[in-house]
Amino acid sequence: MNANIQQRVLKVASEVLERKEDEIQLDAPLRDELQLDSLKQMTLFIALEDEFQHTIPPEEAEGLVTVRDVIEFIQRKMQEPSLA
Amino acid sequence: MSRRVVITGAGVVSPIGIGVDEFWRSCLAGKSSAAPIPAHWADYADLHSRVWSPLPEIDPKSLGLARTEQLQLDPVTIIALGAAREALANAGFAIQAAEGKTRTYVLPDTDATRTGVYIGTGLGGAFTFLQNHTHHLLRKPRAALMDFAEKYIATADRDTFDRIMAQLKHGLRFNPFEVSMVMPNAPAAAIGIKYTLKGVNETYCVACASGTVAIGNAYRAVRDGRVDIAVSGGCEYFGDEHGHIFHSFDVSGTLVRDCSNPETANRPFDEKRSGFLFSQGGAAILVLEELEHARHRGAKIVAELIGFAETFDAHSIMSLASDGVQIERMIRAALADAGLSSRDVDYVNAHGTGTMNNDKTEADVIGRVFGQYVPVNSTKSLIGHTIGASGAIEALVTALSLRDGITHVCNNLVTPVLDLNFVRKTERFSPRVGLSQSFAFGGHNAAVVMRRFD
Repeated sequence: MNANIQQRVLKVASEVLERKEDEIQLDAPLRDELQLDSLKQMTLFIALEDEFQHTIPPEEAEGLVTVRDVIEFIQRKMQEPSLA
Repeated sequence: MSRRVVITGAGVVSPIGIGVDEFWRSCLAGKSSAAPIPAHWADYADLHSRVWSPLPEIDPKSLGLARTEQLQLDPVTIIALGAAREALANAGFAIQAAEGKTRTYVLPDTDATRTGVYIGTGLGGAFTFLQNHTHHLLRKPRAALMDFAEKYIATADRDTFDRIMAQLKHGLRFNPFEVSMVMPNAPAAAIGIKYTLKGVNETYCVACASGTVAIGNAYRAVRDGRVDIAVSGGCEYFGDEHGHIFHSFDVSGTLVRDCSNPETANRPFDEKRSGFLFSQGGAAILVLEELEHARHRGAKIVAELIGFAETFDAHSIMSLASDGVQIERMIRAALADAGLSSRDVDYVNAHGTGTMNNDKTEADVIGRVFGQYVPVNSTKSLIGHTIGASGAIEALVTALSLRDGITHVCNNLVTPVLDLNFVRKTERFSPRVGLSQSFAFGGHNAAVVMRRFD
């Protein structure tokens, strides 16, 4: 995984979840363990858009289970042109 | 005996200062914020007015807001939260983080269920509505145009095409929090959530009188024992990217027309006035508190609120009734509520917009009710018209004028529309009672009456 993207995703996740970065395990389930409910999930993705200045269509972000999934998803998105 | 209501804290975000100290210094210095409108607004409309009153650059972090909050809040809510934070802090509450939270707070040693929030706003989250609408309207057609251009527009013509496309830009996203950002009750709700205030939480949408009506109703709630503390005020934010809101006021003929010199364009109560100065926005919050509650806390008292009234013209949706009969009835009702007569008032903070109709009618009513000796000024002569925030900002000016025995000038007033005692110099006086009044599109009239607290 790209270390820079991983660090920035963890920073955003820590802001959204109101937890310290070192309390967030990469393979922890977002919903069940990190209490990422649907509102927080929306917040996470608009904050990631803000962090990376890259459009993330909500439908593309469905099915991501762990923080690692989110990091890998962002890595893929950053290879594509932003829609905005 | 009814309970006495005092102001124990205040906060403000305005075109001439963020924070009460900076704002008040600017007021007393007669500082104006008039400036040319953004040049790119001319790409979208043929505008008659060419000046506005912009806010200073605002960093939401400096107002205590995290990125995740900024992304979910309209600027009107962000500045309202900033003003509320200052107001609660200088009211002397030892604000503490709520248990297990990093972005919400509690006021220790206060009963949250007896602390209410009363906020006025004209258009609420109009900025977000327009920003999202631009995205909604343009994203797909813009992508289609780009495809079309790739296939059919010759390279030689691409510069022109790209220039037009640059005018059709939209934001990064259609914000999924739009509904909760746009709703007019968002500022009041956000303040209640931020500080865990569980009493009545109300929003007043009364156009330009919103701030005054909100503070007036908060005053009644404290006076009548429904709450002990009221976080009250008004807020507005009109800085949309394409100048749409400016256009809507401009096309209705309400904005200042003579813009040859931005410094002198805004001139309430002057014979050469030509409309009001459009403001990007602002927010002012006053903490109202029952007197004994405030004394028990050892709070510093800014001024005492002693009266409020409102009437309705039932005349025109966009123009006040030129006979001023309902304004006069409103003023006399506010004075009766305070147990005073017009002779007791020694300072009037006028609505004073700078429109032809308002200033003539308002001056006539002030002359009829108070005579020609009571000092009168218009805070809009400094900061322009902040619509839903204006009444709250002017109530703040009234309270500070009573506290400090000094008030600001009527900026750019050369030839008064009527021979009244308009404030022309910033000098000491000794007001005991002040009245701040607002009139609104729709036909609403409202005023609060305050007394110096000795």
